[in-house]
Amino acid sequence: MIVCVAVVGHQNNPLYIQSFTEADDALKLHHIVHCSLDVVDERVNNPKKSGPTLNETFLGLLYPTENYKVYGYLTNTKVKFILVTTDLDVRDADVRNFFRRFHAAYVDAVSNPFHVPGKKITSRTFAERVSTIVKSFGLSSAG
Amino acid sequence: MANFLAQFHTIKNSSDHLVIAVEDVSDLWPIVKSEFEGRLPFKRASLNNKTRNSVSVENLTAEFILTTDSRLRSRFPLEQSLFWFREPYATVVLVTCEDLDEFRTILKPRLKLIVQNDEREWFIVFVSKAPPNNDQATKLAKKVYAKLEVEFSSKKRERCCKLDIQSPEANFWEDLESKIMESIRNTLDRRVQFYEDEIRKLSEQRLMPVWNFCNFFILKESLAFMFEMAHLFEDALREYDELELCYLETVNMTGKLRDFGGVDRGDDQAALLNPGSKPLTQIVQDDSFREFEFRQYLFSCQSKLLFKLKRAFEVASRGYSFIISFSKALALRESILPFCMREVWVITACLALINATASQYNDGPPDIEKEFYRLQGDLYSLCRVKFMRLAYLVGFGAEIERSPVNSALLSMLPWPKPAVWPLVPPDASSEVLVKEKIILQETPRVKHLGIQRKPLPLEPSLLLREANRRRASLSAGNMVEMFEGRPIFNDGSGSDASTKMSPSQKVRASSMSRTNSSPGGFESSIDRPMRLAEIYVAAEHALQHTISNTDLWKSLSSLEEYEKKYLELTKGAADNYHHSWWKRHGVVLDGEIAAVCFKHGNFDLAAKSYEKVCALYAGEGWQDLLAEVLPSLAECQKILNDQAGYLSSCVRLLSLDKGLFLTKEREAFQSEVLRLAHSEMKDPVPLDVSSLITFSGNPGPPLELCDGDPGTLSVTIWSGFPDDITLDSLSLTLMATYNGDEGVKALRCPSAIVLKPGRNIITLPLPPQKPGSYVLGVLTGQIGHLRFRSHSFSKGGPADSDDFMIYEKPTRPILKVFKPRALVDLTAAISSALLINEPQWVGIIVRPIDYSLKGAILHIDTGPGLKIEESHVIEMQSYVDLSQIAADMAKSDAAQKEGSLAVDKNFEQLRLHAGRIEFPNWANNVTSILWIPIRAISDGLARGSSSVSPLRQSIVDGMRTIALKLEFGVSHNQIFERTLAVHFTDPFQVSTRIADKCNDGTLLLQVMLQSEVKATLTINDAWLDLQDGFVHTTKGDGRPTSGFFPLVISPHSRAAILFSICLEMLNAEDEAKALRPESILNIKYGISGDRTTGAHPPVAVESPGPEGARQDLIFRSSLVLQRPVLDPCLAVGFLPLPSGGLRVGQLVSMEWRIERLKDFEENEVSKHNNEVLYEVGANSDNWMLAGRKRGHVSLSTKQGSRIVISILCMPLVAGYVRPPQLGLPEVDETNISCNPAGPHLVCVLPPALSSSFCIPA
Amino acid sequence: MGREVSESCVDSLLTEMVSSYCDRFYANKPDLAARRIEAIGFQVGLQLSERYTMERPRFSDHLEAIKFICKDFWSELFKKQIDNLKTNHRGTFVLQDNRFRWLARMSVDPSPENGDLSQDNPPAENKAAQATSMHLYFPCGIIRGALSNLGIPCAVTADISNLPACSFVVRIKA
Repeated sequence: MIVCVAVVGHQNNPLYIQSFTEADDALKLHHIVHCSLDVVDERVNNPKKSGPTLNETFLGLLYPTENYKVYGYLTNTKVKFILVTTDLDVRDADVRNFFRRFHAAYVDAVSNPFHVPGKKITSRTFAERVSTIVKSFGLSSAG
Repeated sequence: MANFLAQFHTIKNSSDHLVIAVEDVSDLWPIVKSEFEGRLPFKRASLNNKTRNSVSVENLTAEFILTTDSRLRSRFPLEQSLFWFREPYATVVLVTCEDLDEFRTILKPRLKLIVQNDEREWFIVFVSKAPPNNDQATKLAKKVYAKLEVEFSSKKRERCCKLDIQSPEANFWEDLESKIMESIRNTLDRRVQFYEDEIRKLSEQRLMPVWNFCNFFILKESLAFMFEMAHLFEDALREYDELELCYLETVNMTGKLRDFGGVDRGDDQAALLNPGSKPLTQIVQDDSFREFEFRQYLFSCQSKLLFKLKRAFEVASRGYSFIISFSKALALRESILPFCMREVWVITACLALINATASQYNDGPPDIEKEFYRLQGDLYSLCRVKFMRLAYLVGFGAEIERSPVNSALLSMLPWPKPAVWPLVPPDASSEVLVKEKIILQETPRVKHLGIQRKPLPLEPSLLLREANRRRASLSAGNMVEMFEGRPIFNDGSGSDASTKMSPSQKVRASSMSRTNSSPGGFESSIDRPMRLAEIYVAAEHALQHTISNTDLWKSLSSLEEYEKKYLELTKGAADNYHHSWWKRHGVVLDGEIAAVCFKHGNFDLAAKSYEKVCALYAGEGWQDLLAEVLPSLAECQKILNDQAGYLSSCVRLLSLDKGLFLTKEREAFQSEVLRLAHSEMKDPVPLDVSSLITFSGNPGPPLELCDGDPGTLSVTIWSGFPDDITLDSLSLTLMATYNGDEGVKALRCPSAIVLKPGRNIITLPLPPQKPGSYVLGVLTGQIGHLRFRSHSFSKGGPADSDDFMIYEKPTRPILKVFKPRALVDLTAAISSALLINEPQWVGIIVRPIDYSLKGAILHIDTGPGLKIEESHVIEMQSYVDLSQIAADMAKSDAAQKEGSLAVDKNFEQLRLHAGRIEFPNWANNVTSILWIPIRAISDGLARGSSSVSPLRQSIVDGMRTIALKLEFGVSHNQIFERTLAVHFTDPFQVSTRIADKCNDGTLLLQVMLQSEVKATLTINDAWLDLQDGFVHTTKGDGRPTSGFFPLVISPHSRAAILFSICLEMLNAEDEAKALRPESILNIKYGISGDRTTGAHPPVAVESPGPEGARQDLIFRSSLVLQRPVLDPCLAVGFLPLPSGGLRVGQLVSMEWRIERLKDFEENEVSKHNNEVLYEVGANSDNWMLAGRKRGHVSLSTKQGSRIVISILCMPLVAGYVRPPQLGLPEVDETNISCNPAGPHLVCVLPPALSSSFCIPA
Repeated sequence: MGREVSESCVDSLLTEMVSSYCDRFYANKPDLAARRIEAIGFQVGLQLSERYTMERPRFSDHLEAIKFICKDFWSELFKKQIDNLKTNHRGTFVLQDNRFRWLARMSVDPSPENGDLSQDNPPAENKAAQATSMHLYFPCGIIRGALSNLGIPCAVTADISNLPACSFVVRIKA
């Protein structure tokens, strides 16, 4: 299950971060997302490692930790999407699909003329869309 | 084949280098041994790797062993082939011989025997002991060697070489080495070939049930080992990798459950770096490899090779992923492994890996290096997490900082799920009590500034239930139903449980457990759910059994030890991260270190680290995280009495998102700030509140001022304080956008102001500024002793400004001060002269040039000879243009008739106060005209003049000036001064002449009146008060017949009046009394004019009555009449011009003859009567006069005497021109009869060609 | 996504925006009006670039981004690509659109067409040119917004020496 999704601006500032745990321990997820930026930076700054997926938006798995997994996605406009999940086996295809839909939602949100670029995303519509995407995570390809 | 394992293992451990056999045929070895072994190890050798490419290896170690040696005695073929790698790789045959027969008979057959076994790579070293001087012997030796070569060397392979002990040839040793190498290479190739074939055979039947991994393993490893011996580490490594791969496949594939292993004492200490930790015989039991040991074994072999290849980095990276995957494997087996085996193993593994790699690593390329440090950091932090978990289990949880990082790491990694949760040992009740006490004693650490946060979870939810459920599930089933209520995740979900777990509410926790126990209704102690303390104790005991490493156990034994270890691990992780790309990880861990320092009162270090963390979070705007750390920093600073730092921290706390703190917390921050501000600070540093107090000019166009105008600037200030705050002083600086030379000016707020939370609008007095446009600079102010400054324009600014669209926000000019320019203009409205000595309206047009005249004041100062009719009101009205003004003049006249002025709102009557007039408001922006009643005074009558010599009165004496001074502008700072010239004049200019003289002595006096004004004059009456010597002919006051009147004179036209007068007889006594020198002309007239054009009816003191009753004006002018002579006494005649006519440029003399007609004894018109003053006047454009124009000529007083005055003159222009005239100024013209008078015009011909003439200068 | 607006609407919207900023909000303050219009364009470009760069790998260098602007971005906006792209390889790019849609319907008094705009400019011509340039701040802003959102801070100016062709000059800030 997805624990947290986040949008991080091109100055590594959080634009939107939503955790899906019942406990109000969102802070630790903030921490995870924030630290995962290290990996994103690393991937971007020394391309040697990223190899073939040099400029692909999907950065793949950022953290090979024991339990939770952190996936990254870097748009052309240097906006990062971070996905934290506790599923033990996640299919890449699912994640890619998730990010694609998430990106669409994000674009619609920031295209709102009343949204101030570079500021936090406060649109409720966006939040709802995200939660539906999160709920349907993995189901699409499974079923 | 498995039974060879033990042997294999021993062999492998015993022999780690190549073997070269020495077949010592003729007992030479002792002689050459030393030199031979001196060649070892071979510096450079070129061998073929697995892919048959030659690679050069260095320092190839090898050993010479005599074939007679026990180690080389022949073995069973099977094991020989199996352990082939230990067989000799080359065979050196040492021979010598001095005698051909001996060679042929003995040596040769023997050699043949030796070399027949072509399994071996062999060659012959012929040693000749012959001394060099004995050439007999040497020759023999040569012969024998030749034979030898013939016998054993083939053309395709050279198998012999010769060594002279006495004098060895230089190249012998190279030769020897190359031969050895050749042999080794060949042997190696053959054996590799052999092993590969075997392996292939095996791996082909891999999927068959009979297949046995053990054989595969032995072959594979033998090959690998052989490579290793030959220093072909790459190939060896590859073998191991393949082996591992194959192992994992088979292990996971074949369903049969194998013994996992790892249950032995000491297994908790990872053996992933020393292959020899356990004999293979233990690892492999009846061809089942125990995964636990075997995988570590493989990894250790790999890492050994990697180290030999100097690839410590790879060891680290492989190691890390190995640990991760292996720990997963452990997790699967958790039920069979000892309690927390996994954690302990990971800890030891990480430590081992860290130490080994760190010591072995020698710097590589920078990016690799960064990567390496990152790995070290990962290892450290992984180790750290596991260690913390153990610590938590044994009850140090209270000591663990509940920071985001710890929470994330601990609560999201899987926790031990043993099949059976350890039980409290029966005798441990005392320890339980101790733990209970600890739990009870420890109090939740209150954050600074009374910030209340629910502590983050360290453990996955339901740890307590887990522990109990695991037990209960064994004993009584219905405990399971009771707890199966919710799924068990390892993430931090399940808030209630996690809160219950937090020691702060431990009491509730235990009570919960008790209530849980009741429904089950278990009495027996085993089924009673354990309390937290019991869990701790149980865990501790269990761990004691698990952990074999004394150090590790020691560091868990007591709090101090734990912290030591914890600190070491954390530091290690942080430092390594700092060297890598992962700065954030490093900094965050610094924060953890800081927490420990803080706990131990080492606030200095703590503050430093906290600052780094805060800087990180603040820099990237992660306010939630910042809000977690900042209070701690603030606390440190407070304790360290770093007031400046503490203040700024409080301000930063205040400027965080509102939602992050409760209002009362934020109020607490503010009160802290205020407290500090008002307390005595040693060195009050200016505090930057840019994030908290922001300001911006009001939206819309900037305030525009003219040069020198003061104003008030209103500014929007946003306060981020939670409630009102009083600023003792506040000032804003203005910065000129261009012309930076004049620096910033500070606008001070006059008084202390109170800022409400949110938006405030304050107005600042603005002194006059230099021209230019200005932007807001810095806001500075003071709270108590605290000076603060803010640089930032409001970002969270007013929604009504659409500035948010502009990203690189241009600082919007807030004030524009224009260059000096004309702001207003004052001009006189009248174009022509006014009536002198009469009250007249003088109009002044006031034209503001798009600048408001609000509250303007006009000072009027009249020059000499001019006074303002104070008594009368001043009229002011809006002015559009002449026609318009005329129109509403008419209107206002009408209005006057109705007696009310309030018809037109733009008409107003003002009063003059001490020479000042205040303008009405409607005149602020419209052009207006000001009518001021004035009177020009000139004493002295107007003088008439005779038509003969008309005296023109000059403009100047009709000129008067009005000095105007207009004060206006926001605070009357603008001054406009102008002096207007107004021209006054009499209505008429009077001139007289005697029109005719009748025989009866009556004179007709013609009085000509020239109107001087642009107005219609109406003469109603006129009379003449004659001077002595004249009387009116008609009896009466000498008025013209009134039929003439009224006589209307239109502007600038002239009229004349005739008076008939006659001389009065004088007698002696009359002459005695004084004469009235001049006669006065009185004219009663009216004027109708427009004040906008000029002279007009004088200002009525009050609104005059109806038209008819307009009172007349009196104009008086003095005339001088001279008694005429009755008959002329002089005659002037003009003598005819030369007949040739006149030509331009031709001198001609003009002549007049003056003749005295009668001599006058009795009358004395002139004193000197025998002289006459003459004067010749001519237009100088037409004539040039030579000779005297004026002068006296003597003329005897006798009647009939005559004289001729002649003057040379030259005509200058052709055509009919008026000739020069002769005049006699002293003689009244009435005494002159000029008959015939001179010609009026003479004809001048154009100049004759070729004749030159001169032009008047 | 799929919603569409008729082109004429866009045109009139543009003209309306320009006129209201130039004549109402910032009458006789052309520089302020220009800046504001440019800013609006900036935001539009920012948001459009977000949308149009979806589903495409990140650009490795400036040229790629510029090409994207010329090709895909432009055809999303104007159903045509930039006709001509020049660069001095030192951070200056010139994007020329031979028939720039937003100027196509703009009637300017004929004098600018015959090119001597630069020489003597009587007030009429001047005014015409000014009005046209006012309409150009918006597209300039769009380009700048798109590029800077792609991480390329730059300054964009437009040149209309021969209408209806219009060339945008992009100077990348080093």
